[in-house]
Amino acid sequence: MAIQKKQGSDRLLALAGWAYLLLGFGFLLLPIFALVLFSFEDSRLPTLPWTGWTLKWYNFLLSDGRLLEALKNSLIVSPLAAAAATVIGFFAAYALNRFEFWGKKFLSILLIVPILIPPLIMGVAFLGLLSRVNLQGQLLSVFLTHVVILIPTAIALITIRLAQMPSDIEQAAWNLGASEWQALFRVVLPWSIPGIAGAWLLSFTFSFDEFVIAWFVSGFQPTLPVAIYSFMAFNLDPSLNAIGTIIFALSILLLVGVELLLIPLLLENRSNSKQA
Amino acid sequence: MANSIPLSKPSSNLQTKTPNESSLLRWICLAPAVIYDSLLFLLPLIFLIWIGFWTVDNYRLVPGFSLSNYIDIFQQFFSKSRYAYAILQSLWVSSTATFLTVLFCYPFAMAIAFVVPVRLQRLAILLAIAPFWSSYILRLYAWQTLLNKEGLINSFLQTLHLINQPIEIVFTQIGTRIGLIHYLAPIMILILYLALQNVDRSLLSAAQNLGATRWQVFWRVLLPLTRPGIVYAAVFGMIISLGDVLSGIILGGGTGKSIFGSLPLFASMILNEYAASTNLPRTSALATILIVIMVLILFAGTKFSQSNQ
Amino acid sequence: MVLSQPHTQLSETNPASSHDLELVDICKYYGPLMVLDQINLNVKAGEFVAIMGPSGCGKTTLLRVIAGLEGVSQGHVLLRGQDITGLPVNKRNTPLVWQSFALFPHLNVRQNIAFGLTLTRHIKAEVQQRVQEAAVMLNLEPLLDRRISQLSGGQKQRVAIARALVTKPNILLLDEPMSALDPHLRIRMQGELKRLQQALSISFFYVTHNQNEAFSMADKVVVMNQGRIEQIGTPSDIYNAPATHFVAEFVGNNNLFEGEVVEINNQTIQIRCAQGLIQAPYRDRPHQIGERVTVVVPADRMVIASTGPIENSIQATLRAREFIGSQVIYYLETSTGQEIKLIQQQSLNESLNVPINADLQLSWKVESTILLGERSVDAP
Repeated sequence: MAIQKKQGSDRLLALAGWAYLLLGFGFLLLPIFALVLFSFEDSRLPTLPWTGWTLKWYNFLLSDGRLLEALKNSLIVSPLAAAAATVIGFFAAYALNRFEFWGKKFLSILLIVPILIPPLIMGVAFLGLLSRVNLQGQLLSVFLTHVVILIPTAIALITIRLAQMPSDIEQAAWNLGASEWQALFRVVLPWSIPGIAGAWLLSFTFSFDEFVIAWFVSGFQPTLPVAIYSFMAFNLDPSLNAIGTIIFALSILLLVGVELLLIPLLLENRSNSKQA
Repeated sequence: MANSIPLSKPSSNLQTKTPNESSLLRWICLAPAVIYDSLLFLLPLIFLIWIGFWTVDNYRLVPGFSLSNYIDIFQQFFSKSRYAYAILQSLWVSSTATFLTVLFCYPFAMAIAFVVPVRLQRLAILLAIAPFWSSYILRLYAWQTLLNKEGLINSFLQTLHLINQPIEIVFTQIGTRIGLIHYLAPIMILILYLALQNVDRSLLSAAQNLGATRWQVFWRVLLPLTRPGIVYAAVFGMIISLGDVLSGIILGGGTGKSIFGSLPLFASMILNEYAASTNLPRTSALATILIVIMVLILFAGTKFSQSNQ
Repeated sequence: MVLSQPHTQLSETNPASSHDLELVDICKYYGPLMVLDQINLNVKAGEFVAIMGPSGCGKTTLLRVIAGLEGVSQGHVLLRGQDITGLPVNKRNTPLVWQSFALFPHLNVRQNIAFGLTLTRHIKAEVQQRVQEAAVMLNLEPLLDRRISQLSGGQKQRVAIARALVTKPNILLLDEPMSALDPHLRIRMQGELKRLQQALSISFFYVTHNQNEAFSMADKVVVMNQGRIEQIGTPSDIYNAPATHFVAEFVGNNNLFEGEVVEINNQTIQIRCAQGLIQAPYRDRPHQIGERVTVVVPADRMVIASTGPIENSIQATLRAREFIGSQVIYYLETSTGQEIKLIQQQSLNESLNVPINADLQLSWKVESTILLGERSVDAP
């Protein structure tokens, strides 16, 4: 009797869990569905009832050009900033992972803290400095500043990967005659590839979506979020949904990458150790 | 015990001899990050605080040391621009939004960790963090179209005759919070899920074996064990929402209504003031004040978590 | 610069040295802790040396010192007569077979084996050929293009050995290479390793805590404890004539009794123990009446005997027994509470004749008794 009762309440609890998950996912994914759906709706106002399918908002987007220009800017600056941050982050993560030295703790904090400072503050600060050296208001400014906030992400992710590396294999390389640099490039670097790829992906996403800093420093070469922001001040129409859908399609591509690289890196640590 | 450590771990990095003991490798590896962050992180921050003491004359920055920005700001603390109220509004909205996000995410992460079959958990996490990979500003726009008076949600509820008048959500701080919760939730779910994953399942069944009810297992075992994850998630949520400008502007309409009245958030205010005036010294002074507030919160947060342990 | 190609240099400058490796007075301490204490050891050309000892005895540290992965506080490491104490790890050509194999996961088998050859300017065809040779030697040819993750434990180990041998070292260092293998594979690998070592006629420096491995493969066994060498000798030396209390306890299945010398004549020595009087053969060791000694009796030299010629005997109660193949291990207890182990070649049925908790008489020949003097007893 007691066992049956317990099983019954277990099932009830599981049911409640699934119901909660369903509601939660509804909340999390609702805006994305709305974005994609209403980019194909005829009416200017995204409401029910459904008025008909159209592609005119995509046409509108293509003919207008402002958002596409900004998308182009973003697609130039974000991959480059992510790449620069990943390279800098890899070397820093390697040194922090391998060496002990005086002031290491302070240095690790210094290298991680930029991500903890709100971008609003960083945006004002960057503008203050860059305008003194006439580097404000260009794509280069966005690149330079985004690298700062992306370095911590890169270091954190690559450190996760490096921490999983058996210290044996670097020593084995030395033992077989490799110099420190040879071991770094021929053993440690290949080992870190998943971490590096994950770091680049996440950095790219952060940069691509970053608004405040870019708003302060990008000037006449706005990135996509900045252009959307100024676009919204004048026209609220479904071409925003259209660009949103395009971005979401891009994101799905990214997500496949994430599924393949980032999640295994974060979660598989455990299952590996189980097998061992 | 201390003596036995080198014996049992002779391969520790401290003792290992490397191909070149005095090599410059570590400094060469660290140099790019250190130089970059010194020039483009520390320097701008120092500059920010310094510029707060500059003045503007005829649209030109005048370096110097003047307290006029701060005097002006503090004179307007309770009148005209009413910065104090904006700070209060910011603290109120961020703390409630953070609290609600934790409240939403903890059971969600729990459901993924305990109800969803293991092989599907990864997919569930991936779905949960999916919003994070789409544009934040466009998600806010989507929420705006969903929540406004003629929006999907209001028209849906009216069709069902659940309400007669459309509910006002957009351009209130409730809207701001919805935007913030939606922004924070994916990362918080991930943090809390990882925290829950680290809990040893055998502890839970052991507690149940000892006669604890589900509630007791939750309150006396699971919650205490995942407390660091919760604190971590809450501090993270607080910092992000205090510094966020977009939700307050797009969903809160700049000066959204809350129980304190129609007041802007401090962060949105800084952005809008700069957009209107391009007065960098004054904006820098305001940003410096925001830094002070955050440091105080972080300080209080660490004090709080220490005193509880 | 001069040392850029150490192995060819070393073998050319000192071709006559009869020792592949000499360890001279090596000490290593971390603060007050002695990890290696005056290690003196020679490895002759083509010799298989096994270093044996409990974990933490310093054997792996010694191996890492030879490889150059750890420094010494004093002393010298000589490779083929040349002092390499100050030489960095990557200039020594003292390849190591790691306990974890430490294969490079991103490279395939071929690339792993070739690694040591591709670090300097090299000719592709030559590398190819050397890899091929190593692969043939270790039966790895069909696996050359496999990924490391696709290999079994035994295959990984063969790759690790091939990778180490491909640079043609004079000495191969092996750090518990069998500990990650299945038991049945271990036995097979022991034979293979020995065959390999003899075919290549290079010296092996083999660290292990497993005495079966050490005794079955090594020409010379070194027993270490707490950073010191306890005994160096052939396997049979170590097995039959442990020199110290520690070796007697660590090696083989020995029973140890504490006692005092009460009588000496030119054939035997009489020792009084808690279990009674025991006779030991008079060998050329100087003992004195009244000296505290340890009596060592190998477990396989004792018999359960109620009849027959009894030279030494004690009473004990059978507490448990264990069957391993055709061997029976009896666990007994004397009236003073000391545990005794006894190993006998016996069939299961035969052994079952003896009931548990039976009081038995154990006996052994005088000549099977080994005496250890007081000076060899470890200081507490």
